[in-house]
Amino acid sequence: MSNFLYLFRGGDDAFDKLSQEEKQAHMEVWGTWMGGLKEKGKLLDGLPLGKDGKVVSNKGEVVTNGPFAEGAEMVGGYLIVSAKDYDEAVEISKGCPIFDYEGSFVEVREILSMEH
Amino acid sequence: MQQDHHATVEHLFRQEYGKVVALLTHKFGTSYLEPIEDATQDSFVKAMQVWAYKSVPENPTAWLYRVASNRLIDMLRRDKKMDLQDTERLSQYSGTEQNGAPSLDATLSDSQLKMIFACCHPALSQEHQIVLSLKLIGGFSNKELAEALLKKEETVAKSFTRAKKKFREEVKMLKIPVEMGLQSRLFRVLQVIYLLFSEGYAATSGTLVIKRDICYEALRLALLMQQNTYCQHPNLEALIALMCFHASRFDARLDDNGALVTLEHQDRSKYNQELIAIGMRHLEQAGTQDRTPSKYHLEAARSYYHSTAKSFAKTDWKNILYLYELQLKLEPSPMVALHRIVAFAKIHGAEKALGELEQWEQKNNFSDQALFHAIKAELWSDLGKTKEQRTALERAIALTENELVKAHYQKKMKT
Repeated sequence: MSNFLYLFRGGDDAFDKLSQEEKQAHMEVWGTWMGGLKEKGKLLDGLPLGKDGKVVSNKGEVVTNGPFAEGAEMVGGYLIVSAKDYDEAVEISKGCPIFDYEGSFVEVREILSMEH
Repeated sequence: MQQDHHATVEHLFRQEYGKVVALLTHKFGTSYLEPIEDATQDSFVKAMQVWAYKSVPENPTAWLYRVASNRLIDMLRRDKKMDLQDTERLSQYSGTEQNGAPSLDATLSDSQLKMIFACCHPALSQEHQIVLSLKLIGGFSNKELAEALLKKEETVAKSFTRAKKKFREEVKMLKIPVEMGLQSRLFRVLQVIYLLFSEGYAATSGTLVIKRDICYEALRLALLMQQNTYCQHPNLEALIALMCFHASRFDARLDDNGALVTLEHQDRSKYNQELIAIGMRHLEQAGTQDRTPSKYHLEAARSYYHSTAKSFAKTDWKNILYLYELQLKLEPSPMVALHRIVAFAKIHGAEKALGELEQWEQKNNFSDQALFHAIKAELWSDLGKTKEQRTALERAIALTENELVKAHYQKKMKT
């Protein structure tokens, strides 16, 4: 078993356009999906990320506002999921409600253990 | 007797307060915290007037909630803080709730859980998390909190006001229940419950009943979480176990004069066997998949050895020492290192322990830690060096702020 990081990109603009009720309904879809993972013991952690950000470069000489990426590229949140291997991690990610929005995608990366 | 009756009423109100505030915050949102608190207090005043003449209603929570909810809607309408349409919708909602008491129970545990997570929101400082949890969920008054946390009532009130401001502005109730199971949120709540318990368990002066109530409140919250599938976690089980084991020794920790009794001299027949059994059940359920124990597991196991040892001499120091060493490896902490020395001395003797202590002293600055000097004094005393023991004890007495502990050290000076 390894832990995998899902980075969710895009979908924010589409989500913002939804009405309050639609947002609530969509949160419930996320809740159901994540709840299923949790019950199988696959979901460890995750949080949404704030929209604003800073990019620090040149040892802090240059600090720019806003996340690096624009629009569809922006990371909106992350989850940490436990899976056997990449295949399983990818398979799990296919059920993610973020795909309800066109142009959004999930980046799956294995989190390596430093202990070995 | 009058006093007893008074305490019961106070106790009832304290619990009901947290419930009603949780239900209302769940329904109206964190931004209405101030009027929610006012409305809840009003409902209590009304309860005292009405219940004195009639009997206490069968479901006091439902009664208080209904009165507070109506009062809140009135207040919000009057102050035009809410759209008329919104209050219309909410008052209709509360109308349907009145009929079914069971639905209130389900909503109640749900809203209390969400309230715990809101009070332990990562945007709040640790101090604010503790104050909010005790005030809003535990229903403690400023005076009680001041007594329990050894602070001035004024300081507690100010801290609560600041915490509430942050709470209103930055905290939202959880949107989806599964968020409770996410480690970033869950572990934070476990930490706050652990701190609550430690705060209550610390042998300080002040009203001990209040301090025990804080411990039991921490235990109650942990058990409430354990009922929820998303919150279930080996660390939570271990935390419940450790609280049960520690709490099992409550009655033995003070003698008839209210003086501190250390483990060595505790009357072990006073240990609460029921709590020990409950603790053991939870510890058995606390197995982790990767077999890595948390600090709660290690502390629970140590406390288990203390609570179940037949006598101080028969305590399993070898395993306790092993558990301390494991914890130091997982998360190095000077306080854990200090406590470890006590177990180390039991296995390897006072002389070697003093050597270890000096090594640690070079790495950490312990000179202003009362516990460091107290342990040193104990070790010198084991070696029969009375002069060194007294010097160390004097330092410990000067450094400790805790009157009960101070008295305990002073008694040692006289022997």
